[in-house]
Amino acid sequence: MNGRATDLVVVGAGPAGAAAAMQAAALGVRTVLLEDEAAAGGQVYRAPATTRDMARSPERRQGDALRAALAGSSVQVEHGQKVWSVSGQYRVDVLGPQGPGHWQAPALIVATGALERVVPFPGWTLPGVVGLAAATILLKAHGMAPGERTLVAGAGPLLAAVAVGIVKAGGKVAAVVDLATPGEWAACLPAMAGRPDLLARGAGWLARLRLAGVPILTGHALAAVAATPDGLRATVQPVDSLGRPIPGGAATSFEVDAVAVGHGLIPSTDVTRLLRVEHWFDPASVTWRPALDAGFRTTRAGVYVAGDGGGVLGVAAAGLQGRLAGLAVALDLGRLSQVQHDARAEKLRRKLARAARFGAAMARMMAPRPGQFAAIPADAIVCRCEDVTRAEIEEAAAEGACEVNQLKAWTRCGMGPCQGRVCGDTAAALLAQFHASDRETTGLFTGRTPLRPLPLDQLTGEYGYADITLPPPAPL
Amino acid sequence: MTEAFDVAVVGAGVMGATTALHLARAGMRTALIDRGAICREASGVNAGTLTLHMTRAVLIPYAIRGRQLWLDAPDWLGMDAGARATPGLSVAFTPAERDMLEHRAAARRAEGAPIELVTPAQARAIEPGLNGDIIAAAHCALDGHVTAYLTGRAYRRALVAAGATLMEQHPVAGIDRAGGQFAIRVAGQPAVRARRLVLAGGVWLEAMLGWLGLHVPVKCLINQLVVTERMRPVMRSVLGIANGLLSLKQFENGTVLIGGGWQGIGDPARGGVEAIPDNLIGNVRLARAAIPALAEGRVARIWLGLESETADALPMIGPLPGIGDAYVIGCVHSGYTSGPFMGKLLADHILDREPELPLFDPARLVQPQRAATLEKTP
Amino acid sequence: MPQRVDFSFDGVPLTGWAGDNLAAALMQAGTRRLRDSPRAGQARGAFCLMGSCQECIVWVDGARREACRTTLHAGMAIRSGTIADVAV
Ligand SMILES: Cc1cc2nc3c(=O)[nH]c(=O)nc-3n(C[C@H](O)[C@H](O)[C@H](O)COP(=O)(O)OP(=O)(O)OC[C@H]3O[C@@H](n4cnc5c(N)ncnc54)[C@H](O)[C@@H]3O)c2cc1C
Ligand SMILES: Cc1cc2nc3c(=O)[nH]c(=O)nc-3n(C[C@H](O)[C@H](O)[C@H](O)COP(=O)(O)OP(=O)(O)OC[C@H]3O[C@@H](n4cnc5c(N)ncnc54)[C@H](O)[C@@H]3O)c2cc1C
Ligand code: FES
Repeated sequence: MNGRATDLVVVGAGPAGAAAAMQAAALGVRTVLLEDEAAAGGQVYRAPATTRDMARSPERRQGDALRAALAGSSVQVEHGQKVWSVSGQYRVDVLGPQGPGHWQAPALIVATGALERVVPFPGWTLPGVVGLAAATILLKAHGMAPGERTLVAGAGPLLAAVAVGIVKAGGKVAAVVDLATPGEWAACLPAMAGRPDLLARGAGWLARLRLAGVPILTGHALAAVAATPDGLRATVQPVDSLGRPIPGGAATSFEVDAVAVGHGLIPSTDVTRLLRVEHWFDPASVTWRPALDAGFRTTRAGVYVAGDGGGVLGVAAAGLQGRLAGLAVALDLGRLSQVQHDARAEKLRRKLARAARFGAAMARMMAPRPGQFAAIPADAIVCRCEDVTRAEIEEAAAEGACEVNQLKAWTRCGMGPCQGRVCGDTAAALLAQFHASDRETTGLFTGRTPLRPLPLDQLTGEYGYADITLPPPAPL
Repeated sequence: MTEAFDVAVVGAGVMGATTALHLARAGMRTALIDRGAICREASGVNAGTLTLHMTRAVLIPYAIRGRQLWLDAPDWLGMDAGARATPGLSVAFTPAERDMLEHRAAARRAEGAPIELVTPAQARAIEPGLNGDIIAAAHCALDGHVTAYLTGRAYRRALVAAGATLMEQHPVAGIDRAGGQFAIRVAGQPAVRARRLVLAGGVWLEAMLGWLGLHVPVKCLINQLVVTERMRPVMRSVLGIANGLLSLKQFENGTVLIGGGWQGIGDPARGGVEAIPDNLIGNVRLARAAIPALAEGRVARIWLGLESETADALPMIGPLPGIGDAYVIGCVHSGYTSGPFMGKLLADHILDREPELPLFDPARLVQPQRAATLEKTP
Repeated sequence: MPQRVDFSFDGVPLTGWAGDNLAAALMQAGTRRLRDSPRAGQARGAFCLMGSCQECIVWVDGARREACRTTLHAGMAIRSGTIADVAV
């Protein structure tokens, strides 16, 4: 596969990317949709991996509808294609089952979704401790719970979703441990009022958990997980509204074999950082987001971002953003007049405003609390790839590292195969806390290729020495 | 107004940091100013190869001394920046490369590099990971590598201990002369005053010299580097190819660094912004041709660094013509290797000590035209 | 039709559903420790399941792959992704 040209490349076939691609294609834009997974759907509408009989949730139905719509559209969907580089204006390099290849298009929509934030605690690296997002993947794609008896902990709406999913899959939930208090959830009600369907669903989840006898500890945090001869011991403790342990608060332990834990979602900015577009730090969600206009254009001509990659606002918003980005591409490529564009965009924008209100309330519930970072013990690992501890990070900070890229050079924090996707947020928060500076000062890891590690055998393929195109020799 | 510094060094790469360190240790009140953090440009992102196989022949005496300084860093710098001595090999896969190998080895040997031709079998005894397809090889006992990303940490500790004033995140916007002093203008900060000035701005030297009315063209190379994730030990030498398009080594932590001067996209204004996928694939294919076991590794990261070069590809190190008490240091090929020595040379000159080897007079490079204006600053 | 297939991890015979990803298949088969971390030598297992964290790296028929991004086939010989003999 070599350098095929098209009008638009969309990276990521979640609800945002799929909607963007279908919208643009429907207006005559030749569109290629690249997806790493074997099927479209993204996080929420993830397709099951096997033909095993699995519960048919609303997401599964919506996902099947989305996949059917894509199949019936003129979008060229390419599965199993890992995008590892974006360069030029715009060359998109992929690694797929057939080896490396690339696409060329004047317009690029980045719809690569979100990553999960997990604020470190002792034992978070133990096998059996997984992210909440990972737990949803196990449930949706494989119909399995992460263990026989799972503690579900962290923040945000995924907590209840995962706990209920585990119960439905026949697993046991030892407890749900939520940083937020019922009062904080109640404060979201006005923003949630626009989505009575989701409110009802949330209420149903709670009822289901009560019925299953699952203890729900609100205003609590997971303090530590330790390995025991038969599994894991998870210790939880009460915390205040800033996430700080309450002095004298009674700790409770649970014997489990799995822990699912997550502290919210953060936009995946691998591609936008690589492309050096402008980003801004959003204090409400405590995340970095690419700067976008109403058509989801970045500060770089021809590059658009739709869905969680621009800010995590939920699945409904992601689909609407995708359609708006698709319309903007059609306008910018001359397939739509401004008047035609505005007529269509108007309605979508009103719907998006409603969806975003709900999404923003959820994002606030998922925002980390300063006490969570402060509570990380000195010897806890922050960078999992390179085993870098909080103490090592603060030692480098004391020697003058004020910004994450210098920190990385001095400690290898963020230098491993995940390239800081897991530790970057915590490292930046710790640096800011240490120097009493802010996240603008501590900055972002510089984005580079490859977007995911590239197996050398696949990248180089089979070749002879004569097949290598050599530049002129270096001077003597 | 605060008292003027004895010397201000602008640019905290290895050249500026070494010069500043020796001046501070000699008792001068020294300011080291950088627009970013210390050693985050070429000096923090380079390949850290201490090889003589790729060094410009006339710079070999300097490189040999610089290499030794890196290996002795715990003694004079106070921290091990990961410098390790290893054997160095340069190999040839084709008859044309063999001819080049022999010619280049002879030229470098003439300048004092202990490079000798060895048989492919001898080369494989030195480097068991080497591909059996090579047809010729040259061996140099003096080779090795440094962990370049630790450079800033090591120098920063030493500079703080020596009492130098480190001004990071201080982008210099221009320089005025007033009352026998240099007033170094920094955006958003009061000017820094100093009696002497050292410009050590790497690829930004053209703009910096322009501040003083000197026009010296500086070419900017955009060098690509590729690193694998940690892997089992697959090699133990520093390995290159006769044409100079490969530099390969494995660090103690298991990562393998692949370089060789393949180019990416960038410029002094934007930095190294974009790798060229075909250049990545070419560079990595060359590496795998040399060490076949690399096939089992994964590329973790590709980046680009900016390297400077003068019109005659030789360094500029010495006093600036027509401007008293102002000096420049930079544009040194394989400048990381020789950096600790080059900075000491300039410091010795400034301190009126006899430098061990000759400097590189910048006057030869000054063009007659009026300098670039301040607007051209990065 | 869903199919149970044989595979192995570090020589231990296991069975799983063809079509599952290796991370899920190993988890279901009770194998959680997929590798040791290179510096601290700590046991690690799948964490994100979306190809991001790189904790699930294993050797699959001699190639280094993400377990959560690789589909199970009959007869696969999987080895732990631990890297031996490297310094901190
Ligand atoms: C586990 C999880 C559960 C969630 N549950 C809900 C929910 O119930 N309700 C809700 O409103 N919101 C939920 N969210 C938020 C949710 O992610 C979004 O609202 C929605 O899925 C965002 O859609 P998206 O298209 O932006 O991203 P995603 O759905 O994440 O899709 C991104 C796609 O891009 C692909 N991709 C990424 N990088 C590359 C690459 N380099 N090469 C090729 N392909 C790539 C991914 O494989 C993925 O398919 C959840 C998020 C997560 C992580
Ligand atoms: C990718 C790459 C690989 C290399 N590999 C090797 C190798 O293996 N072996 C070897 O010997 N050499 C190597 N080199 C060469 C070597 O890195 C350089 O010769 C050396 O680091 C140059 O040091 P320097 O101090 O002159 O420049 P730099 O390290 O670039 O320092 C210049 C400093 O000036 C600062 N500056 C710029 N403008 C301003 C301003 N307006 N105000 C204040 N400060 C400013 C910059 O921020 C920077 O810190 C390599 C170079 C590159 C780019
Ligand atoms: S579990 Fe994170 S990459 Fe596989």
